[in-house]
Amino acid sequence: MRRLLGGVPWPGILILAVLVFALPVVLPPFGVSVATEIFILAIFAVSLGLIIGYAGLVSLGHAAFFGAGAYTVALLGERVANTYALLAAAVLIGGLLALFSGALFVRTSGAYFLMLTLAFAQVLFAVAFEARSVTGGGDGLSVAAVPNFGFGEVTGDYGLYYMMAAFFLGCYLLLRLFVASPAGKAVRGVMENESRMKALGFNTRSYKLLAYGLSGAIASLAGALYAYFNFFVTPDLLGWVFSGQALIMVIVGGAGSLLGPAIGAGFFLLMQEYLSSYTERWQLVMGLIFVAFVLVGRGGVFDLLALAFRKVIPRRIRREFGEDPSPPEPVTTQKEKAL
Amino acid sequence: MSPLAVRNLNKSFKALQVLKDVSLEVQDEERHVVIGPNGAGKTTLFNCIMGTIPLTSGEVLLDGRNVGTLPTHARVPLGMSRTFQKNNLFESLTVEENVHLAIEARKPYRFGLFKPLSWRADLLEESEELLRRWDLWGRRERKVRELSYGEQRLLEVLLALASKPRMLLLDEPTSGMSPAETAQTIGLIQELPRSLTLLVVEHDMEVVFAIADRITVLHHGEVFLSGPPEEVRGDERVREIYFGGGARHDA
Repeated sequence: MRRLLGGVPWPGILILAVLVFALPVVLPPFGVSVATEIFILAIFAVSLGLIIGYAGLVSLGHAAFFGAGAYTVALLGERVANTYALLAAAVLIGGLLALFSGALFVRTSGAYFLMLTLAFAQVLFAVAFEARSVTGGGDGLSVAAVPNFGFGEVTGDYGLYYMMAAFFLGCYLLLRLFVASPAGKAVRGVMENESRMKALGFNTRSYKLLAYGLSGAIASLAGALYAYFNFFVTPDLLGWVFSGQALIMVIVGGAGSLLGPAIGAGFFLLMQEYLSSYTERWQLVMGLIFVAFVLVGRGGVFDLLALAFRKVIPRRIRREFGEDPSPPEPVTTQKEKAL
Repeated sequence: MSPLAVRNLNKSFKALQVLKDVSLEVQDEERHVVIGPNGAGKTTLFNCIMGTIPLTSGEVLLDGRNVGTLPTHARVPLGMSRTFQKNNLFESLTVEENVHLAIEARKPYRFGLFKPLSWRADLLEESEELLRRWDLWGRRERKVRELSYGEQRLLEVLLALASKPRMLLLDEPTSGMSPAETAQTIGLIQELPRSLTLLVVEHDMEVVFAIADRITVLHHGEVFLSGPPEEVRGDERVREIYFGGGARHDA
């Protein structure tokens, strides 16, 4: 059965899809809007989780790609109305930015990689901030484009919810396939043991670059979707604070699984919503939770949920449904090195 | 033409010259063993031949072609692969996943993005055949770190063989093994097809004389002697290097 599924948990993905599409029925309108934002940030967090958990590359500048996607829609959207073209442009620009910068960056690892990605994102931030005539500088830029996939304009809370939910599921499925693919397996092999991969005849650097490029393209897509959702973009979308928040989502959610970072994104946004309604200092509480997860909960929220799942559902059934017999280890060494 | 030849190889780490003008030739289907006391430069020689570290000067000829400046991963498809002195495996993956990666490396779909690796029938077949032949089929779903040391050592060789090399480099295949495991490994090496040319670095003299067609003695980074096992066994100076300490030769 596992072989038949190719290591991709199809039944799980189906259940997830049903849940996601039924969710708005039980949510209040405000909750629908929060959930929509969660899906967008989940795409972003999953893209970062891919390079951290499967390629061992810890970036503190992933907002560079998110912001690039958002500005692509904001700037090109003034002239181009076609949603497909705009999203494709965002994916292309994000992917190319990641490939070109990554060609230099993946030669390094650990803290050096982290600092280079941070510096790169700060350069883009400075450009967005200083080029007032084009980007509006610190005042930001409003987004004129409205999403339209050929079935009429997507508007309203529910329309946007289903659009972002569909994109999230699509990206998740795509990355699931990638992780099970020959290239994805090799990417993980490089993270596990680069010298052996070289000795087996793999060009290890090109695999790191592939993962980084894919991750940048998807982060950029998330940014483009965010521009459609928020109608407004600012340089903060490229800033290191946002990159850091994405890193928190990945680690709290659980690096080393694909869904973990998405859960982390949901956890982060919900905490932000609830805590900020009680105290302005919600970041203090979030910080403490983060520290707790780094210290004791290495696999993040995802691992805690998986543990509960294992207690409830017998092993035999899980195996039948293609549970990976060897889920990736939480990447503690890289993570600890970086933080 | 010899499958592997090293010409005037020099390797220095800053001021320290580890290999001095090393030349050696491995004949087709030969089992060539490099011996020498600790610090003689055996592993450095291996690393230079494989491209793990860059050489300072000289040539590494694979079937007459100089591969001395190619990166490691580009030398493997030309027909050479190696094992490591210290087990160098994918510890948190299963035995089967280890073998899958090793086979994938030489497949045209190694950059394939969508079709899952475990849907490739050719890869699964090859992997099963290898695992059965090397008695690891029953352990295929175990993670590497759950294996015994001897089994891990076996997997180390198996991964190198999965690259389908014509020239196999074994770096101390029996290091750290119990006498029983050593005997078993000698048996396995002797059973390797003759068409596979071997270059082996080994410490254990029992192993050396059990497998060697030809022996090269490395001493202080230089080729001291190269010849058939009988010649090396009878050489007084080699005994002195090994048992009398190298001190007198330094003078």
